Amino acid sequence: MIEVQGITKRYGAFVAVRDLSFSVGKGRVLGFIGPNGAGKTSTMRVLTGFLPATLGSATIAGFDVFEEPMQVKKRVGYLPETPPLYKELSVGDYLKFVAELRGITGGESLKRIGEVMERVGLRGWERRIVGSLSKGYRQRVGLAQALIHQPPVLILDEPTSGLDPAQMVGVRQLISDLRHDHTVVLSTHILREVEALCDDVVVINKGALAAKGTLDEVRLAHAPVRYRVGLPGVDLDKAANAVGALDLVGQVRLIDGGLEVSAPQDPRVAIAACVVNAGWALESLERIAPSLEDAFLSLVGAEGELL
Amino acid sequence: MRAVWTLLKKELKVTFVTPLAYVFLGVFLFLAGLFFYMGIVMTGEASLRVMMGNLAISLLFVLPMLTMRHFAEEQKAGTFELLMTSPLSPVALILGKWLSSMVMCGLMLIGTLIFPMVLEVYGDPDWGIIVTSYIGLFLVCGAFTAAGLFASSVTNDQVAAGMGGIVLLLPFWLIGNADALVGDGLQGWLDKLALLPHLRGFTRGVVDSADVAYFVAFAFVFLFLTYRTLESRRWR
Repeated sequence: MIEVQGITKRYGAFVAVRDLSFSVGKGRVLGFIGPNGAGKTSTMRVLTGFLPATLGSATIAGFDVFEEPMQVKKRVGYLPETPPLYKELSVGDYLKFVAELRGITGGESLKRIGEVMERVGLRGWERRIVGSLSKGYRQRVGLAQALIHQPPVLILDEPTSGLDPAQMVGVRQLISDLRHDHTVVLSTHILREVEALCDDVVVINKGALAAKGTLDEVRLAHAPVRYRVGLPGVDLDKAANAVGALDLVGQVRLIDGGLEVSAPQDPRVAIAACVVNAGWALESLERIAPSLEDAFLSLVGAEGELL
Repeated sequence: MRAVWTLLKKELKVTFVTPLAYVFLGVFLFLAGLFFYMGIVMTGEASLRVMMGNLAISLLFVLPMLTMRHFAEEQKAGTFELLMTSPLSPVALILGKWLSSMVMCGLMLIGTLIFPMVLEVYGDPDWGIIVTSYIGLFLVCGAFTAAGLFASSVTNDQVAAGMGGIVLLLPFWLIGNADALVGDGLQGWLDKLALLPHLRGFTRGVVDSADVAYFVAFAFVFLFLTYRTLESRRWR
């Protein structure tokens, strides 16, 4: 649905995005992550046709972003980092204006406005002035704006930033509901959000691609898999030495009531044999799923500004 | 064309739900009343000549304040991103905004119709001259709002946009009175460029196609520059 080929975006001498390529399949949710200033917003602005790329090409739904921007704009719903709202207008008037911009008028417009307001949880808020809404509700109006023309592609720039935890859950639920009808690209700082919502992940750092793939691929490729060995009542220093001497085992760390072991391949059989041979009690031996956070930190370094 | 209408409606809605529109109408009508009174007292004629000339000059300061919001505010609020990622052509965007300012100008001018009515009650004004004067003033509005719109497209800062619009227009007023500095010969040429000499005909009841062309060209040039600025902004 979205194909990005070698996009580079320069602002004067500053390179915001460097030779970035990725693609998003129809109906998939792509999490676009990276530290602040990594080039996420610039990439999204290129995709929505707000900014032209310096080099490279991108197609959305088969239309080239630079050659046929009008066709692309018709098919994309975009929520910028700051929701683009007219604070003077009421929610209803604002959505009516956006619908008309998108060529939706009359009864169709009323119907669509009703639907999106229902969908983002704004029912009954038509007459409220946008400027008087809380941040969470403004974000909802922003989302409603992006959905009004039923775009096949949704591009959301940090849709949950600045929301309180309850609002975050609400917006997350909403995005999760949208996945069936839309192809979604969303950028965020919150890695748990990506793990909860996204099928695919693109990690960028300093404008360049750091990793891409499905959520599991990225996690597996860039986060070390760890195993937890539960050894109650055992001298852990001794056990660490014994387990650490095994071929398959990498680093060993002492934790409360056992060991945590990182290993490139599954060392569980070897560990079990070693522990049993030594005559220790083996309470548990489990694989800990790699987290996106570990992958992210190993990709961008711990100094990356994480929220 | 429907996009122009959509945008025009939005602009008017935004203008009229805030006090801005009423402040403008109020200030403008106050100035008009002042100039009307001065004109009557000074000349003793039942004519709007003095009021029209002075109004044109005050519009030079007032209209950039009306148009300064347009692009500067959209940039600041982030709504420019919405407009530019909608299937909306820059031409429709500029026309919608310019026409919304022209509607405001129309309302301001309609407000001043009370003064010729006063003349009609107490004197015997020449309605031909009054009609051509209004046509001239409306053309002036078109030219000034176009220049103001251009100033607004260049910067994100409203105040800079407003002042910029005035600074842009001032020379076109001042070169009309530069004869003491440059002599009559050169002044003849400057008069072709200056604003007020082109309004003079209208306030005397003459609609000269050269004068009309001047104001239309003036507006067109600045609208075109606005278009080029919007296009070039994207590449920066």
